[in-house]
Amino acid sequence: MRTNYRINSGVRFEMLSQDQLQELFDGVLHVLENIGLEVHHDEGRDILKNAGAWVDGKRVRIPQYLVKRSLEMAPRSFTIYARDGNPKHDIHIGPGRAHFGPGPTPPNFIDVETQERRPYVKDDARIVATVVDALPNIDFCESLGTISDVHPDLAASYEFAEMFPNTSKPIVAWSYGWDDSEDIHKIAVAEAGGQDAFERRPNYVHYCEPLSPLVSTFEAVDKLIFAARHRVPLIFTPCPLAGGTAPVTAAGIIIQAAAESWMGLVLAQAIQPGVPFFMGGVLSVMDMNAMILSYGAPELALMMAGATELAHFAGLPLWQTGGCTDSKVLDEQASLEGSISCFFSALTGGDLCHDVGYTESGITGSILQTVMMDEAIGYSRRITRGIEVNEDTLATDTIHNVGPNGHYLYEEHTHRYFKTEFWYPNLCDRHNFEEWEAAGKTKMRDRVIERTRDILSSHKPSAIKPATKKAIKEILEAAEARVKDKQ
Amino acid sequence: MSEVLTSISNAIIQGKKDDIGELTQKALDEGQSAQDILYKGLMPGMDHVSDKFKAGDMFVPEVMRSARSMANSMKILKPLLIETGVAMIGKVLLGTVKGDLHDIGKNLVGMMCEGAGFEVKDLGISVEPEAFVEAVKEFEPDIVGMSALLTTTMRSMGDTIKALEEAGVRDRVKVMIGGAPVNQSFADKIGADAYAPDAAAASDVAKKLVKKS
Ligand code: B12
Repeated sequence: MRTNYRINSGVRFEMLSQDQLQELFDGVLHVLENIGLEVHHDEGRDILKNAGAWVDGKRVRIPQYLVKRSLEMAPRSFTIYARDGNPKHDIHIGPGRAHFGPGPTPPNFIDVETQERRPYVKDDARIVATVVDALPNIDFCESLGTISDVHPDLAASYEFAEMFPNTSKPIVAWSYGWDDSEDIHKIAVAEAGGQDAFERRPNYVHYCEPLSPLVSTFEAVDKLIFAARHRVPLIFTPCPLAGGTAPVTAAGIIIQAAAESWMGLVLAQAIQPGVPFFMGGVLSVMDMNAMILSYGAPELALMMAGATELAHFAGLPLWQTGGCTDSKVLDEQASLEGSISCFFSALTGGDLCHDVGYTESGITGSILQTVMMDEAIGYSRRITRGIEVNEDTLATDTIHNVGPNGHYLYEEHTHRYFKTEFWYPNLCDRHNFEEWEAAGKTKMRDRVIERTRDILSSHKPSAIKPATKKAIKEILEAAEARVKDKQ
Repeated sequence: MSEVLTSISNAIIQGKKDDIGELTQKALDEGQSAQDILYKGLMPGMDHVSDKFKAGDMFVPEVMRSARSMANSMKILKPLLIETGVAMIGKVLLGTVKGDLHDIGKNLVGMMCEGAGFEVKDLGISVEPEAFVEAVKEFEPDIVGMSALLTTTMRSMGDTIKALEEAGVRDRVKVMIGGAPVNQSFADKIGADAYAPDAAAASDVAKKLVKKS
């Protein structure tokens, strides 16, 4: 029996002290209360005003108590459910749990067959969903592209309709506005078995983007209102560029991003108390020479870690970012940038880590990058799982049994643990030279491509209900009718 | 070359935006023509900045200060240049098109054009085609620069060009477009005069566009 014994299960990572976090937290409250944000949505401003915000024209300032009350109202732990009831695909949000998935909407995609960069098309959403469904370390789905071969206003609706049947992992959906948000929600509700059933077991998350610096745009607020009213778990995530649309310092960009996100928190909680809310923000640097928002910069991992710690300090889950790169191809740079940010994200326990598979600074999606990062995440997760210490793992009995000069291969202890103590790669090659040579001298990228093709030719995601299939068809027909006269 | 023109070049390179006005005045007092100050002082300084930037030895915040210095000097020189009938480099009207809120890329294009000696007017974000038309009539730019970062709002670029045509002002301006999803073939398709992939290329393209006309 142990007494006064403390267990660290997993790797402990802590960057900012409680004092520093308190200072950041106070900084956010200061921005919200004293500087305020512009909210470009009349109804949104009215709701905020009724909740106790100070409204002056478009400018909305939020007193501290209201922010704190909203933080209290939002849950820290909740579940996003697999549409098919497969518990392995449920996502349990809560302290110490990091989840990973691709990102939304780049215009281009790396073709799996040709590896050429080309516009993203409808079938790519099926490809991405199918591969995501099969990958062991990818937990949620986003499409990695904007469908270019449908009416532009319906890109999000078609995308969801294409992904939903092809993965039962929860989807993080985006949209342009109210109408396509509604299309998406109707599909999810059809499968869940009605709005009430959906509220008990939400099967997707909705994503809205306010504008930096300090603007809650009409679309972002409109989508938030839609999601909150229908009790869809939601993400309110700005994309500030350090030195461009946000302060150049990590601490400065973190408080600005948090203020931008928490405006959404306050609004969402005013509409629907207790609706699950992820603090968001893709925080990175604007490269001052290349003039891009860098998705491969070390500062991205660092700023995101700071934002994660602040979110957790405030009692919110975070929308993390990682597994992305500025490289244009599946190469060493892509692997380096993606892997380190995945590892760092895993360490922080940032709750949903997205953009796994972004390349070229978010301009091109690549499922091949996602597949490569699945390996990096598996690798990272083995490390963050840490070292288990107990009488059995200490293995003193086994050491005694084997004694000097023996070996451990026959030991029951070895047999019991070798599968769980060790991580086995899917893609990294550990064969000896001759075996590697005989197997065709493949490089990492060859194996990534092969694995992706294998999944696509063999993986069968669980089916949606026939009634949902019918509903999808009707929803898309109605959507087409809606945009018929718009060019 | 005269000492004062060299110090003007240096002030541009060092981004001395608060001192440049005084230096410009000094050069005028010493009898330098506005034209010489522009072409032998400001421009060589800015060309140097531009080369350094392209080589990766200078960075946006520094270029921004240089460009601002250039603009501050041009404020003094402009009436004199007009008076003496020297051709100005040109005017650029900029905006992010209707429905689109992305602005930092467009702001960088504005900065680089300012640095190249253009007078820049920025209409901001989500600019309606009609607002472009009005501004073209009022500001009389040589170039209209449109930015779009979304595949949905790229459509507004074509709409804006049509609106310029309908208002009968299309041939008074050159249209230059850019933004992440935009490319040369899209520019050709909607009948824009030019496309540039980044802000540095944009100012080069702008210079070529005004030379041609
Ligand atoms: C920051 C950002 C935002 C911010 C914008 C904040 C702001 N103040 O600008 C916010 C969060 C508000 C935002 C919102 C959205 N965004 Co956004 N955003 C980006 C992001 C990550 C970076 C853009 C950026 O600032 N780049 C840095 C600057 C310096 O580069 P740049 O803009 O490309 O400009 C350079 C060149 O393009 C060129 N250039 C630019 N303009 C011009 C003009 C002329 C005349 C010329 C010659 C050249 C030129 O020169 C510039 C400098 O070199 C891009 C991804 C990306 N890497 O582009 C997505 C991106 C553009 N967004 C995207 C999307 C989908 C959206 C949203 C629809 C998301 C949503 N569902 O809410 C909304 C739409 C809002 C709206 N109505 O506009 C997609 C577009 C995909 C598509 N197929 O259309 C992208 C590609 C992200 C992605 N991977 O999915 N976004």
